[in-house]
This record gives sequence, C-alpha cells and structure tokens, in this order.
Amino acid sequence: MTRMPENSPQPLLAVQHLSKFFGRQLGCHDISFAVSPGEVIGVVGESGSGKSTLLNCIAGRIKPSNGSVFFHSSEGMTDLCRCDEALMRKIIRTQTGYVTQNAAQGLKMHISAGGNIGEKLMAGGMRHYGQIRKMALAWLERVEIDPERIDDLPATFSGGMQQRLQIAANLVNAPKIMLMDEPTSGLDVSVQARLIDVLRKLVSGLHLSMVLVTHDLAVARLLCHRLYVMKQGEMVESGLSDQILDDPRQPYTQLLVSSVLKP
Amino acid sequence: MAPRWILKLENIEKDFLFHLQQGTRIVVFDRFSHLFYPGRASILTGPSGSGKSTLLRMIYGTYRTGGGHIWVRHRDRPVDIAAAAPAMIYTLRRDTIGYVSQFLRVVPRVSALDTVIEPLLARNMDLEKALKKGRALLERLNIPSNMWHLSATTFSGGEQQRINLARGFIAPFPILLLDEPTASLDLKNRQIVIDLIKEALADNTCVIGVFHDPADHRDFADHTIDLSLMLNQEVMQPCTQKN
Repeated sequence: MTRMPENSPQPLLAVQHLSKFFGRQLGCHDISFAVSPGEVIGVVGESGSGKSTLLNCIAGRIKPSNGSVFFHSSEGMTDLCRCDEALMRKIIRTQTGYVTQNAAQGLKMHISAGGNIGEKLMAGGMRHYGQIRKMALAWLERVEIDPERIDDLPATFSGGMQQRLQIAANLVNAPKIMLMDEPTSGLDVSVQARLIDVLRKLVSGLHLSMVLVTHDLAVARLLCHRLYVMKQGEMVESGLSDQILDDPRQPYTQLLVSSVLKP
Repeated sequence: MAPRWILKLENIEKDFLFHLQQGTRIVVFDRFSHLFYPGRASILTGPSGSGKSTLLRMIYGTYRTGGGHIWVRHRDRPVDIAAAAPAMIYTLRRDTIGYVSQFLRVVPRVSALDTVIEPLLARNMDLEKALKKGRALLERLNIPSNMWHLSATTFSGGEQQRINLARGFIAPFPILLLDEPTASLDLKNRQIVIDLIKEALADNTCVIGVFHDPADHRDFADHTIDLSLMLNQEVMQPCTQKN
C-alpha cells in the first residue's frame, strides 16, 4: 500500500448527498464521503454502477441534480455546486487533476509531449520558455518517459506512455487532488505495473489525495487506503481496503470479491 | 502492582455471513474477553477454523468486529480498534501494531530492500539510515545481497516469507501479530526468526502468534490460548518450558 496519510481533522474534499439523474435514468444516488489530505480513495463496482458519473460530478464536468461537493481551498470550504461558476472553474483548474481512461481524450494529440505539459504550466501562469522546457523534461523523467521524446507527438507514444504523459500534464501545477477514471484499464499487465508503480511513488512523494475509479480490485488494494463499493448508482459498502477485500459484508461486495482471481 | 495491559479484548463478537452460500452464518467469537501484556508472548492454539487468524486480523483492523471492544494502549491512551476512524487505524498500523502475515503480498517492480524499509520511511526515517537497517536485517535473514534490488515476485516461498519477516521486524512495535511466520522456513532461518521474536520480547513488545509447529515457540512462549475452549472460558495455559 501507499504511504499512510497523516491524521487531519479537515477533509480536503467532502461529497454530500450527491445525486445525478439523466432524465429518468439514475446516475448515482445520495452519495456522501470525505477525502483527507494524502488519502487515496478507491471507488469500485461493475460498469454502469455510476462510478464515472460520480467522478465527473466531483470534477465539475457534469452538474449534479442534488447535493454538494465541498472543496477545501485557499478560499476556505467551498461548495462547488453552489458557488460562482468562475470560482468553481478556478478551483477545478488549479487544485484538481483529471485523468481519463482514454489518454487521447486527456491530451492534445496534435502538440508535442513537452507542449502538453508546457501548456498546463502556461495556464498556471509560467511564461519563461527555458524554465517551462526544463520542468517538462523533469516531469517526463519522473513518469519514466525518455526525455529525448519531448518534441514527439503523443500519437507516436504507446498507450502506457500516453497515460503517464497525461498524469504528468495533470501534476505539473501541483494539484491537491487527482481524480482518475480507470487509468490502468486497456493497458497490458506489464505496462499497468509500471503505471501503478509511478502512481504509488507520486502519491506518497507529493502527499497527493486521489479518488480512483477502477474495476480492478488488485489495483485498488495496492493504491487505495479506503474503498467505496457502488452498485446501480448507490454506495453499498465502504471501509479500509483490506476490510472490503478480506472481510466483505454486503452480498454485492462478496460477489465482486469472489468473482476475481486473487485480488 | 499488577502490570498494565497493552491490549484488551472485551466481549468481542465476530461472525461471517456468506450471502452467496445460502446465507451460511459462521460464528467465530461470541463475547470473548482477554488481556495481553507488554513483553509477553501469547500463542493462539486450536484446530483450523477455531479463529486464530481471525483474531489476529480483528486486532489489526482488517476484519471488522461484530460487537464488543478491542482496546489498544496507543501513546498511553486506550483506543478501541473496533470503533476507530480510518485515520486512527492508519496511525496504529504505522506506530503501534505490527503484523506479519503468512504470505508476502508482492508488488511488481518494487525491490525487496524497498519493501523491507517501507515501515521505516512511513515513520519518516532518513533514507540512508533506513537502507542501512534494511541491509543488515536482510543479511541476518540470509537473503543474498544480489537479490536485494530485485522485486520479490520471482523469489521462492521461503525467501518471500523472510522478506515479509524483515518488513515486520524492521521497525519496533508495541504489539506484534505473527501468523505462522516460520511455516516455510528451514531450521537455520527458523532459529533466526525465533531470536528476532525473543529480542522483540526483551524490548517489551507484546507478541501474539500462531505457530504451526509447537517446537517453534517452546522457548519464548509465556502462555497458550486455546480458542477451541472459548466457551468454557478456561482458555489460558501457562507454558512451563520457557527458559
């Protein structure tokens, strides 16, 4: 497991009674949970259980039907669902990162790898070209991409490299929390292992919080301190990762855990 | 003056309900109570299925407690693991309760040495100092130095067990839970582990262990706790062979 977070009375993120309906279709219903600084939370469940909807609501990409997403920023505790739109955008842009399953969606494929990182730095206010390039090189190295590839287009990268580039581009502005939607699926096993290892090091090194949506229980055990289990839009069980995986209580969690080979 | 307990089980209850197997319910603990003291070794005995590993996992917080309390003296204050918030359990696992499971959970791409020193880094020990301690312990456990920088993925069962033991013993804990730590070791390495346990006891650690072979705990056990006798309360047997 990754490094344990420190005790912290104030959560970084608190989701309260969050619901999302797409017309009459339920996305997620009455979800509440909190994330402490440095804590990695996993949201597990089968596809269609509302995991990604929940994550998108937190990331400000979908407007929830009901409930609140409180974020502890320099402005104090702000409800992203109630505050001024510009403030919400600013908090999301400067304090959160969002990594999608499909790296091509999270990257600009027509600009270079260095450009993808540099663009984020410029959005964060950096102007000095030499400095931007230097930081881009350092970040490529950090996510184990050969710095010589800095001027190559992401389209020439493998899936695993694209995913690591997407993570680097999200981390350059030092967000407090990373929201990740199935970052390891679609990658073959050895590539996955490398990505997970990179994530593990980043999380403990940067004291980063993370909400990780995944259906891979082995990944969840390795990276997450706590897990939330979702089924048909509802949160059915939560606890420490080892409690959920080694002592599941709810019928659905027992089914989930017993259906995989050695989580 | 009576010694102060470090761990107190108070009427603990635990059952497992298997929803997918016709709702079978297995009751493992029904209001079981026991006290544990620093510097003592308690050996859990009983046939398989009597709850030995379950008890260790409940104390570690991996298995949730159905009823009752598991009090741990943490920084001189009693904390109930059965009701503790996640942040408290993270802290307890970092500072107060160590656990050596039967099998190492191997992480690909993480070297054996890094696996071993992780508990020290979690306590913010300086990396060089942690590496030095890690190397010394791996050497003591007869892991050849050319393997230290490899991931334990390809190690044999006995080698993985020793990595797991090194990880468990590298940082001192007031309470140490051992689940068959000697099961896949040869005689020579077994003796090293027994020595490590004795050193922890001399350091005032409360050791609670499950051992496959009684010969392994003969010369340090203070008493055995036979979990198959839980219902008539006479679980505790003093060990006389300790030298």
